[in-house]
Amino acid sequence: MAKPGEHSREGSRSSTTMQGCIRLSKQLQTIRRPARWDEPLDAQMDEPCVQSLLTTEPFASMDAAKFPQRSPLAGILQNDCRILDLQRGDIIVREGDYGSSAFLILAGEAIVSLQSLPPQLLGRQGKPKHSWTRAIAKLLGNSKHAEVRDYSATSDSAEIGARVTGEGQQVFLHDIPRVIPPGKSVTLTEGEVFGELSALTRTPRSATVVAGSEMKVLEIRWQGFRDLMKSDPTLRQHVDQLYRQNSLQAHLRETEILADLSTESITSVAATTQLETFGQFQWNHDFGKNQKEDIGRRILGEPLIAEQGQPLDGLILIRNGFARLSRQHGDGHQTIAYLGKGQAFGLRELAHNWKTGQQRPAMLSLRAVGYVDVLKIPVATVEQLILPAVPFKKLPPELPALVSEGQQPKNTRRMVQREQSMDQGLLEFLVEQRFINGTQTMMIDLDRCTRCDDCVRACAATHDNNPRFIRHGKQHENWMIANACMHCLDPVCMIGCPTGAISRDAESGSVTINDPTCIGCGTCSNSCPYSNIQMVTINDRKGLPILEQTSGNPIQKATKCDLCASTNHGPACQSACPHDALVRIDMTSPGAVTNWTK
Amino acid sequence: MKSDVNIPTSNTPRSKLRGRRVRNVALMIFALITIGSLVVWQNQNLIHSTFTTGYILLGSFLLLTAFNMRKRIPSIAQLGSAAFWMQVHIYVGLATFVLFGLHVGWKIPNGQFELLLTMLYLIVAVSGVYGLYVTRTIPKKLSAINDEVIYESIPNFRVKLAAEARGLVLEACQHSDVLARFYRNRLAEYFERPRSLAYLANPNGRLRRQLTSEIDDLDRYLSSDQRSLSQQLSLMVKKKDDLDYHAAQQGRLKIWLFAHIGFTYSLLLLSIFHGVMAHAFAGGLR
Repeated sequence: MAKPGEHSREGSRSSTTMQGCIRLSKQLQTIRRPARWDEPLDAQMDEPCVQSLLTTEPFASMDAAKFPQRSPLAGILQNDCRILDLQRGDIIVREGDYGSSAFLILAGEAIVSLQSLPPQLLGRQGKPKHSWTRAIAKLLGNSKHAEVRDYSATSDSAEIGARVTGEGQQVFLHDIPRVIPPGKSVTLTEGEVFGELSALTRTPRSATVVAGSEMKVLEIRWQGFRDLMKSDPTLRQHVDQLYRQNSLQAHLRETEILADLSTESITSVAATTQLETFGQFQWNHDFGKNQKEDIGRRILGEPLIAEQGQPLDGLILIRNGFARLSRQHGDGHQTIAYLGKGQAFGLRELAHNWKTGQQRPAMLSLRAVGYVDVLKIPVATVEQLILPAVPFKKLPPELPALVSEGQQPKNTRRMVQREQSMDQGLLEFLVEQRFINGTQTMMIDLDRCTRCDDCVRACAATHDNNPRFIRHGKQHENWMIANACMHCLDPVCMIGCPTGAISRDAESGSVTINDPTCIGCGTCSNSCPYSNIQMVTINDRKGLPILEQTSGNPIQKATKCDLCASTNHGPACQSACPHDALVRIDMTSPGAVTNWTK
Repeated sequence: MKSDVNIPTSNTPRSKLRGRRVRNVALMIFALITIGSLVVWQNQNLIHSTFTTGYILLGSFLLLTAFNMRKRIPSIAQLGSAAFWMQVHIYVGLATFVLFGLHVGWKIPNGQFELLLTMLYLIVAVSGVYGLYVTRTIPKKLSAINDEVIYESIPNFRVKLAAEARGLVLEACQHSDVLARFYRNRLAEYFERPRSLAYLANPNGRLRRQLTSEIDDLDRYLSSDQRSLSQQLSLMVKKKDDLDYHAAQQGRLKIWLFAHIGFTYSLLLLSIFHGVMAHAFAGGLR
């Protein structure tokens, strides 16, 4: 039995603990669990708008009961959609742009240009290439102030104009028939959908669409459109048919393993192929936050496309994005390699099973890194149409023999090609930080770099004394990935640019910003998961900030590496490094990295 | 399926970087043998070979100096990458040892001006070899340190770290003054000032080891809370040492280059003057 004094001490201790808990709970900040529709596409979408949309086709004929409770039809319309009021000539989508929305015409008509419009009409006037004599002369004329722009010679284009709307700046064509002749266009009318394939498959827009009259257009965010498709068979069939008609066969024909198939076989393969997507479309939003999580948990949290030890239900072709090949190692998963566009998973297992009659499962796991778009060809199609047509030499080697207890393995062929197998730590680092997205990643070998900054000086000299990268960045052992635009294969920075100022060059593939059309909204800079786009305040020749006429605020512009587009010698940083320490490297190809680092 | 992106790259694989050394050495030896044979032939035929070797040497100096121009003008990248010019610079620079020997007849010149030229040449050539050594060894030493830091931002980091260390010690002061006294006596100067010239000449971890060991020795006078603060202080000492190490090693890379280039221009100007004088005393251009 406790003595009276002890009891009171015990009691006072428990009350102190209780008070501590209460104090702690008062100190801790609590928030509601974040939900999908916390940030609707347009906060102005109210109940009457949604009710009005529900009486309009195709929503009127959709069965609202078929939608799951967590994403009802009315919820999608209210949170994933917005209504755009457009004037005749307004550019709705530009050819070559990346976008995350599909569009449904509610009223009016849109004109789809069947011909490519000149780049300057799309806000992408390319930089003229300077001869080397002109480049030397330009060196002498480089400004001594930072970020100088000369607006004295700027004149408004006769063909395009811009007006400010509630959503921001809207670019429009002055004279549609002159720019898009009637014979070279298609007119879309009320109830028709456009831009859906580009949004769903994360590919560039294939044509420019402008408003042919005063229009009301419903912009549907990718996520909402996907949910509409899931619950509405008609819409799903429509998109599926469109995709199979327009893109699928072309993609299959470009796949190496299907190169020997006849046109009829490709058509049959296309008929059974399924299109699947994994991961988050705008993965860049949570990228920084996820980096703080434990790597093991992060890998296990990545959407699983195929699981090690489970039977394969088809041959998987990566259409877009990246996937991590991993193997169970102890309690975690070890990254073996990464697969990008055009690469296949499961071929070796399927070919082995077809040749031997065994039923071996997947040897490795395949997980979506960010956002991945895959094509799945069912096993039956692979065995009936693809494998018999592939020459024996092209077939992958058989899987290692199964080893019973106490037996030594006889066949130890690699699961990953030798040229793709880079240093394990470096591989994990590149995949973890998503540097594998870069086609022109600046990689510095710190074992050779003398920190002389010749690369920075060369960059500055080429860009009017403004360096377009920072010789600093994330590091693994002696390898540094500097903060320079990587010209990503999946350029998330290009999603949402209101004027089309940031675009991918069709010839070189580099992502560039057209300075005159950049309005300094910062969308691209905020979207870049690698912080490689800098917003700068621009100055005049005297070094004074250039101000906006009405508000008096300084004008900002987005700046980044343009791979020295105005020169004939390619990236000045790479050619300026005297010690072969800096390269611009295509990380989407593991072979290039292995070649450089080994 | 092929990638949409198609930008040509010219990344030389690491293995080829090693292979080029053999090729370059062979080329240098071949060039030297050719020039040596020409000198022997001229001497046998009573032709003054010093003008030949002088012009080749002056040409080499101009070529070696042009490397700096190439680095400053990125728009002339068509004339070769800086890495290519670097290779030319190294092997032509090494070849000048032999060319210079041939030019002066492997003797120490007796004229004062010629002696000055020889001294300048030796300073430039030896500093070049030293530069080759440091540019090949210091980067590896720097990359062995986890935190990479830009040279120009080191003073800022120093100030920030000193403020953090001071704050930490002030926090520890609330309970006892052991850490504060130690900080005042041993660490304040270490955190607030850059290291000595002796350290710049020979950067090493002696002081870091000494200070961290002294901090460890304080443990027996500290409470458990203060021990955790002293461990943080110990980490800051290591961090400061890393910063100093970066400052010293990167500083050496910069100072070396500054000296090498400065002496090069003096050598070039005096060599041209020497050439003019040599022609003047030999009775004009031959």
